[in-house]
Amino acid sequence: MDTGVFLLILAWGLYAGCIYILLAIGLNLIFGVMKVVNFAHGELLMIAAYATFWVYTYSEINPYLIIPVVVLLMAFLGVLIERLCFRPILGTGKLNEIFLSLGLIYVFQNLAALLWSADSRSIHSPYSGISVSIGSITLPLDYVAIIVITFIILIVFHVFMKRTTVGRAMRAASQNREAASLMGINVERMDMLSFALGSTLAAVAGSLWMISGQMVNPYMGSIPAIKAFAVIIIGGLGSIPGAIVAGLTLGIAENIVPFLMQSFVAVFGVEMSFTAWKDTIAFFILIIVLVIRPTGIFGEKGE
Amino acid sequence: MNKKYRYGILFTVLVISVLLAGCVEKTGETPGEAAGEIKIGIVAPVTGGASTTGTDMWQAAVLAADEINAKGGVPVNGVNMKVKLIKGDTETSRESGVKAVTKLITVDKVDILIGGFSSGITKADQVVAAEHKVPFIITGASSPIMTRRTDIDTSYFFHHCPTTDDYPESTLLFVDDAVKPAIYTKSDFAADRPLRLGVIYQDSAYGEGVYDGIKKTIENNNLNMEIVSAEKFVMSQTDFRAVLTMIKAAKPDVVYPAAFLNEQTLIVAQGRRDVGLNTIYLSVECNDHPDYYTGVGEWGEYSIQESRFGPYANPAGAIRSNVLKFRDDFKSKWGAPPGMMGASTYEGVYIAAEAIKNANSVDKEKARASLAELEMPQIIEVMEGNTITFSSDYRESKFALYMQQLIMDEAAGETRPKIVWPESVKETDFVLPDWYEPGTGGA
Repeated sequence: MDTGVFLLILAWGLYAGCIYILLAIGLNLIFGVMKVVNFAHGELLMIAAYATFWVYTYSEINPYLIIPVVVLLMAFLGVLIERLCFRPILGTGKLNEIFLSLGLIYVFQNLAALLWSADSRSIHSPYSGISVSIGSITLPLDYVAIIVITFIILIVFHVFMKRTTVGRAMRAASQNREAASLMGINVERMDMLSFALGSTLAAVAGSLWMISGQMVNPYMGSIPAIKAFAVIIIGGLGSIPGAIVAGLTLGIAENIVPFLMQSFVAVFGVEMSFTAWKDTIAFFILIIVLVIRPTGIFGEKGE
Repeated sequence: MNKKYRYGILFTVLVISVLLAGCVEKTGETPGEAAGEIKIGIVAPVTGGASTTGTDMWQAAVLAADEINAKGGVPVNGVNMKVKLIKGDTETSRESGVKAVTKLITVDKVDILIGGFSSGITKADQVVAAEHKVPFIITGASSPIMTRRTDIDTSYFFHHCPTTDDYPESTLLFVDDAVKPAIYTKSDFAADRPLRLGVIYQDSAYGEGVYDGIKKTIENNNLNMEIVSAEKFVMSQTDFRAVLTMIKAAKPDVVYPAAFLNEQTLIVAQGRRDVGLNTIYLSVECNDHPDYYTGVGEWGEYSIQESRFGPYANPAGAIRSNVLKFRDDFKSKWGAPPGMMGASTYEGVYIAAEAIKNANSVDKEKARASLAELEMPQIIEVMEGNTITFSSDYRESKFALYMQQLIMDEAAGETRPKIVWPESVKETDFVLPDWYEPGTGGA
């Protein structure tokens, strides 16, 4: 087995894991505070990617500088979704919440197709030709930046949740909504904030997605969202550390396992491609985790 | 929540739904509504992962129908019948494809089907078409099994696009003829060293078909080539970095992706920009589309695009004026140049009209018999023998394919193709770029 190839594939997995983590933490935050599963979370990534594309196309400024603009736009959209869609039906039954979020998927996809056509669009990062050497491997600068940005956001998010009054209030609402309300926490405001923050993280994921050279079209949100759902189930519903561990595990595993399997069967003289097994591997991990630990790695009973 | 507020939300949702519904294009009318019309179902992925191609197919078909109708329609039994197109959106999925084709046949009562993109999806659509014995001119699905499969009656299917056996044959003969000598001269390789070929193919009937075609071409033509890596990916995949890293590790001289437009764009861009796989990328013809040149940007420079109809390059010959007119008309109607699948679907509508005219009936059996005997002049794509006709064994028309190399056009800000093969139609010679890195394997 070529160690250089192994490390490089590991780095690609780390990048994929970063996108999954950002999406999954947003999902988890919303679920933790509101106990709502937003199936349309992938569409927030799609809209953020479009926002990045359009701001970049019209302003031609450095795409990294566009991230704060997109974050603000998406936070506003998150608040709108919570106020107009989820708040009115909160507590009326899980089926209502599920079908509302499924409906939002189609609304967002069709609106995007109507507004921007179904064509795929991409942007070119000004740093796309620059690579940096890290040990024995060479990585494009954009990927290093994406990994670093994700970890900075995770640290800021951690500090916000642990050290600030609002963060503590969100955690309290997440742990026991009624008790938090009795203690004077405005849980409805926490709901709104959780949607805003969740959308913000999806916004960062969408912008980084575009910066990394990926393409956006109205239907691209589904696959990353499915992976993000797998991540929160593997990590444990509502668990932020679980989402981080599971996101990295999933991103790395789905990239590295086909390579390892190929190297393994090659020992026996068998030539076989396992690279199309990416998604199968992700859900195989999901099944194993659920069988061994139904609550997920960091999940607690009752979630 | 008070009732007033709730009703307010309900009313708002209803208004938005009605407005959105109003934005949806009308796709058909009730069966039997209009006698004197030839109803043609256009089967295409207008939404979903292959929506760019599907939209191109639909728009080209509309242009053909408009042209035919503007000339008075199709004479059948002394009556000039208008062509009416009905959209069957496969949404780039098998399930939706079957649903769309079932609706076209049972609800819209179409006389003939045209289109079909993605062999995997079209293979599922065919089952419905075969069951109802509806003639189907397949203009986008390239697997040869379309008219060769034995599990259903294929006698109603007519294949008007090159098959996955045809692409690799032209492409690899070109590689052997022009690319290999350039690489071997630059790298000082021994003439008997096999050319190292990396293949990355979609895990579908289309991708498998191209891969099989590559192996058959090497064997049948006794080409001195070796497949050093063959990796699969799932349809609509967006992250190819890991798989390209594995291909790079196999040290290929040339990489042949069997991918759709969005996939091919990302494979070339991620291969060159992220993985540093600085090689000659080949491309299957379905990617010869304006969106590909825009999407792949400078990373596509010097890559090879096999083609039979492109948005930019024109092979010299008798149909050049037809090609230019089609391109201009399409652009003025839709605001963007047409793609290849659009070209064959455009021809598909003319083929259907000609077959129905010759049959003097819209009866499906008569239309099928007429298609089987069809002989008409080539329209906008160069055909073998300059004639559109379907082979007696598998009902396939035969195209004359050519190869293009993408060269940066500073004025356009993106690459443009130049025809480099075969000799009879080429505009310029193949160029091996300075940044090219050959595989290893002995000088």
